[in-house]
Amino acid sequence: MSLAIQTDDLTKHYGSQVGCRQIDLSVGRGQIFGFLGPNGAGKSTLVKMLAGLIKPTSGTAAILGERLGNIGVRRKIGYLPENFSCHEWLTGRQLLEFHASLYKMDRGTRSRRIPLVMDLVGVSGAAGKKVKTYSKGMRQRLGMASALLPDPDLLFLDEPTSALDPLGRREVREILVGLRERGKTIFLNSHLLSEVEMICDRVAFIRGGRIIAQGDPGEMGADHMVVELQLQNLTGGLLDKIKASARIISSGGNTVRVAVANKEEIPALAEVVVRGGGRLYRLAHEKVSLEEIFISLNKEGD
Amino acid sequence: MFTIFRFTFREFFTRKVLLVSLIMAAVFLGLYWTGVFYAVRDIEKAQNQMLASVIYPQLLLFGLYFGSFIVSFLAILSSAGIISSEVESGVIQAVIPKPVSRSEIVLGKFLGQGVFLAAYAALLFAAIYAIIYTKTGMKLTGSGEAALLFSLQPVVLMSVTFLLSVLTTTVASGMVAFMLYAVAVVGGVIEQIGWFMNNLSLKNAGIVSSLIMPVDSLYRKIVHVMLPPASNPMSAVQQMGPFGSSAEPSLWMVTYAALYILAFLGLSLYYFAEKDI
Repeated sequence: MSLAIQTDDLTKHYGSQVGCRQIDLSVGRGQIFGFLGPNGAGKSTLVKMLAGLIKPTSGTAAILGERLGNIGVRRKIGYLPENFSCHEWLTGRQLLEFHASLYKMDRGTRSRRIPLVMDLVGVSGAAGKKVKTYSKGMRQRLGMASALLPDPDLLFLDEPTSALDPLGRREVREILVGLRERGKTIFLNSHLLSEVEMICDRVAFIRGGRIIAQGDPGEMGADHMVVELQLQNLTGGLLDKIKASARIISSGGNTVRVAVANKEEIPALAEVVVRGGGRLYRLAHEKVSLEEIFISLNKEGD
Repeated sequence: MFTIFRFTFREFFTRKVLLVSLIMAAVFLGLYWTGVFYAVRDIEKAQNQMLASVIYPQLLLFGLYFGSFIVSFLAILSSAGIISSEVESGVIQAVIPKPVSRSEIVLGKFLGQGVFLAAYAALLFAAIYAIIYTKTGMKLTGSGEAALLFSLQPVVLMSVTFLLSVLTTTVASGMVAFMLYAVAVVGGVIEQIGWFMNNLSLKNAGIVSSLIMPVDSLYRKIVHVMLPPASNPMSAVQQMGPFGSSAEPSLWMVTYAALYILAFLGLSLYYFAEKDI
């Protein structure tokens, strides 16, 4: 599979502070790749390095087969920064005309693409209005339109739906899925894990500037299972024994929720409960959401 | 580069910068015209040629000096945030990832800003010249050369402010640029006093300040170009005071000012290329 993004030991230091450390990522073409992590983990640092806004301290990266920093390849890249800002004295259409000229689009392509992307993100009605009159959500949509302007092969989106209402989020998801169907690659930075789970083919988790896990969201879920136990005689001693064999997510009343690495650990867990004097009434395992994997991975690191 | 150049130039016409600049110029020229009008009327009434040959050049110098003030202030105010405000607001994050090099961004902005300021200064110079010529009938020499030097002044200030805008915040770059401008103005006056008193230390202080910020030297050069002492027996009287020029800055000083602009452009290109956004 040809790669849209490949990084090798990509590292960024801000003085003595670490932005990203030894990032090795491979993102195949035609994928939606979710990049997840808590605030300050280094998500935006990596995206900014890939978009050419900041320079890596060490390591290498290739974008659509070209080395990082290649100007020509940027014609095939769209980028939506977090909190999209723009020249507010322009109208929405004028802003896109300016961005189109930065993409060195000819007049014909410009007049075709600008109405198309404005329509796609739902800001056609405000095309002639000054950007300063736009709401936060409309600006985000306009930023999306700018990123989509060159019909990019690779799209970097940094929190693209943070300013949007649920309807707007759904529209953006549909746009992204539509782009994937056309073979486009999307690198998605988001806090909205349920959204990422819905559309991403692969995800990576970053913490403290390092990638701590990556893979298919479904497969990652298989490695992290949640088991809910309903039992009587739940004493402190029994809780300690459960804790020794699995990580407790929550406990209250007669219910305990624990995380186990895989299905094979479930019989042993039941045995611990029974041997510890607990009367087990119900044991159920659930599919783990990306959110629970995210929380679990972050707790593991603490 | 031309996309950024056109955009920077256009920004002046779309934003309030041009309107404010025009209002500033209109107020200044209105007051200046009024002052010249009444001064000339009284001198003509008195039919005092001696007074005319002292006051008329002073009126010209006064106009050029405060005209320089206006273009210098505009140069600093409009350049202090040329890069930093876009970094602070995040606007530049949507521009840099596009297929334009960072050097194109710097060159485009530098040229757009420079051409606008030079054109503005040239028009202001033309207006001052027109007021003096029509009201006093003074025969002035080297107006073309003087106009070029007058237009160079804001570009010198802009080049420093541009680099500051690359390196620091909008507020900091504006403050430092104003300080440098103050060094040039105060240094110029000190040098004038030094020539008047024949004090070497004061003259040297003026020369050092001109090397730090050569904008005042350009003004003194304009004075000499327009009021050459060789052809004028009243020269010593005309060149006295803070607006005069007792010693003509050499052509090397003008060359230095041009190299100064290029050096700051080069530094802006280098530091912006290395800057993390």
